[in-house]
Amino acid sequence: MGAMQGSSPATSPPVLALEAITVLGRGKPRLDGVTLQIAAGERVALLGPSGAGKSTLLAVANGLLEPSGGQVLWDQQPRAHSARGRRRQQARIGTLWQDLRLIDELTVQQNLNAGCLARWGWPRAVLNLLLPIDSAACAEALQRMDLDPGLLNQSVAALSGGQRQRVAMARMLRQEPTLVLADEPLANLDPRLAGDLLQLLLEQAKAPRALLLSLHRPDLLQGFDRAIGLRNGQLQFDRPVSEIDPAQIQQLYGAEAPGP
Amino acid sequence: MRVAPPLLLLLPALVLLPVLVALPLLVHGGGWELIGQFLQGAISPSLDPVVLNSVITGLGLTLGMALLGWAVSLMLGLVLGLASSRLIWQSLSGTALPAELVRRILAIPRAIHELIWGLLLLQLVGQQPAVAVLAIAIPYGALVARVVSDLVDALPTPNLEALRAGGAPAGAALLTALGPPLLPGVISYGGYRLECALRSATLLGVFGLGGLGNELVLTLQSLQFHELWTGLWVLLVVMLGLESGIGALRRRWGMPARFGLGAGSVGQRGRELLLSLLALVPLLLWVGRALEVDPRALLQWQALPPLAPHGWASALALPWPSMVLQTLVLTLLAAALAVGVAPLLLLLVAPWPWGRRLLQLIWAFGRLWPPPLTALLLLFVLKPGVVTAALALGFHNLGILGRLLLEGAEATGSASEDALRCSGSGPRLALLYGRFSGLARSYLAYGAYRADVILRETVVVGLVAGTGLGAQLRESLSSFAWDQLAALLAVYVLLTLVGEDLSDRARQRLLRPA
Repeated sequence: MGAMQGSSPATSPPVLALEAITVLGRGKPRLDGVTLQIAAGERVALLGPSGAGKSTLLAVANGLLEPSGGQVLWDQQPRAHSARGRRRQQARIGTLWQDLRLIDELTVQQNLNAGCLARWGWPRAVLNLLLPIDSAACAEALQRMDLDPGLLNQSVAALSGGQRQRVAMARMLRQEPTLVLADEPLANLDPRLAGDLLQLLLEQAKAPRALLLSLHRPDLLQGFDRAIGLRNGQLQFDRPVSEIDPAQIQQLYGAEAPGP
Repeated sequence: MRVAPPLLLLLPALVLLPVLVALPLLVHGGGWELIGQFLQGAISPSLDPVVLNSVITGLGLTLGMALLGWAVSLMLGLVLGLASSRLIWQSLSGTALPAELVRRILAIPRAIHELIWGLLLLQLVGQQPAVAVLAIAIPYGALVARVVSDLVDALPTPNLEALRAGGAPAGAALLTALGPPLLPGVISYGGYRLECALRSATLLGVFGLGGLGNELVLTLQSLQFHELWTGLWVLLVVMLGLESGIGALRRRWGMPARFGLGAGSVGQRGRELLLSLLALVPLLLWVGRALEVDPRALLQWQALPPLAPHGWASALALPWPSMVLQTLVLTLLAAALAVGVAPLLLLLVAPWPWGRRLLQLIWAFGRLWPPPLTALLLLFVLKPGVVTAALALGFHNLGILGRLLLEGAEATGSASEDALRCSGSGPRLALLYGRFSGLARSYLAYGAYRADVILRETVVVGLVAGTGLGAQLRESLSSFAWDQLAALLAVYVLLTLVGEDLSDRARQRLLRPA
């Protein structure tokens, strides 16, 4: 199927492709004809002032929101019709939520294993609520995030903010996704912690994985391959980080709307 | 092995296993045809004007009894509640002892189900509308009193101390410091009691105290299922209307939802609230006149038949241990069924958009359908006994708990569930992990409270399904064996007080932060 269109800077097939995506909102559209592609191994930052449509774009990219116009392709496939097909598609999309969405009533290990629910059937899912299972894999997932495996048996509610952030990332990696989406994961962290976490996240995004991360601090751009500028629901630029000049960024966040 | 909260929620549903094993043994031959006819009646209720007329008349009577009983119980409950508050006695007289005394005394009317009150009063003063009103008002009043005094005693006291330190007299200080924070909780609970009063009034009708319940049981016993369903559909519409009306007022006035009773929110629209309360007064007077409720008639007691000789000896000879055991087993079975099956059903229907709607309809029927009627219906195909009675009682309480669970599930928000769905887990697992985790403790705490209510309610199905203390109660009532009756009531009171204490402890343990 010749589903691809436009010119992609990457040679490998796109993990995610948005084609003329429109999402209607109250009054003006929240997304207005956005087209972009992300190839395996690419690390892409999504920039824009608040209200630009970054969260909406990520919600479309992770399947939570069905666009009113345009098409989303994951691994070159459109949204599956069957429930089973949808679940298989969703299992390859890992999302790091701004509010983390950990389950406070469960232990760290149970939360980490919740990332595997797509692959697991009922017996293992229920067993996870009774006994510590897959301990070795969970401990490894924590270590990859620079966390002490001794935390496995702790309740998530007892962790510090930085620890929770890392547990959320470890859960997402337990899912073994090919597309990693992150909605302002660094917004509530102090600068040093934000830098560390970003580094961890960038390290995980190697081919065949791809990363799309929304950011409201342009100073954290190094380490990304590409940056996408979004304003008023419209794509402003989409180019390698090395080619972006500061004036463009200023214009993106500037008070007056850029010309057509 | 530690059971995590979401599974804890489903644990009571394990009771289904023994029940399902026992069920085939309980089925007797015929009766399936009748069940089929009953179900057919649902889609073709009778529209005969005569039937409609008697349904509407009965409904009016039931609604009137519920409203009056509710209003009297609220007034009683407020006064008695303040009278049993430790804080108020402490501020007014310097000692909390009288509060303890009033509390102990009020435990007795609270422990006896409104049906028993109704049947006792019926024997004493004969059939009249005031009996049902009083039967509802007595136990409800004592229940409201307990809730009011608990609410008052749980209020933070620094405001009160500040006013007192400033020289305000005790009465004025109490009113100013405690009135406003108390009001939302009381109004919210009062609204919930009105829903309960409608259910109780229907139930009392089933036992011959007049109203729609009477129509329902007569049409069921004479197998007129089409006419039965006319009454059921009308009652369903009225009950859902009342529930959504009360819910809307609760939201409009900014009152706390039931799940977190006591959560401190300040009420809004005070003037509107006051006007509504004032409008209630003429309405109540009009209803009282229309029903010809005459409080004076309650004072004219009928002569009691003489006691049988050797009454006390025969009362002691009753099979007490087995009756108490049956009552306890019935309580636990019904409570486990109601508490456990609600989340299980919610999980089962999770993948289908219409599933929830269907459950809401079934649960609404569970709430409005008085348990003795379910028991009668079950007796078409099942033998009488503890399991049959538990199924009837469990179904009724499933309706109440199910609605509460859905309300709670909607209030917890969908963030975690959405996150799991987005990572590819199925709708059932996402619901189990994402929503039930946060819901488990508060739901089970409510379940513990409900188990206490179910213990009181066992009498209602015991009367029909022939099991436990309730069955004996009916016999003693109909043979005017007052000594047996007194002994039975004493045992009932004792059981419910112990049950109440246990359920309180369970609730506190569940709600304690982990």
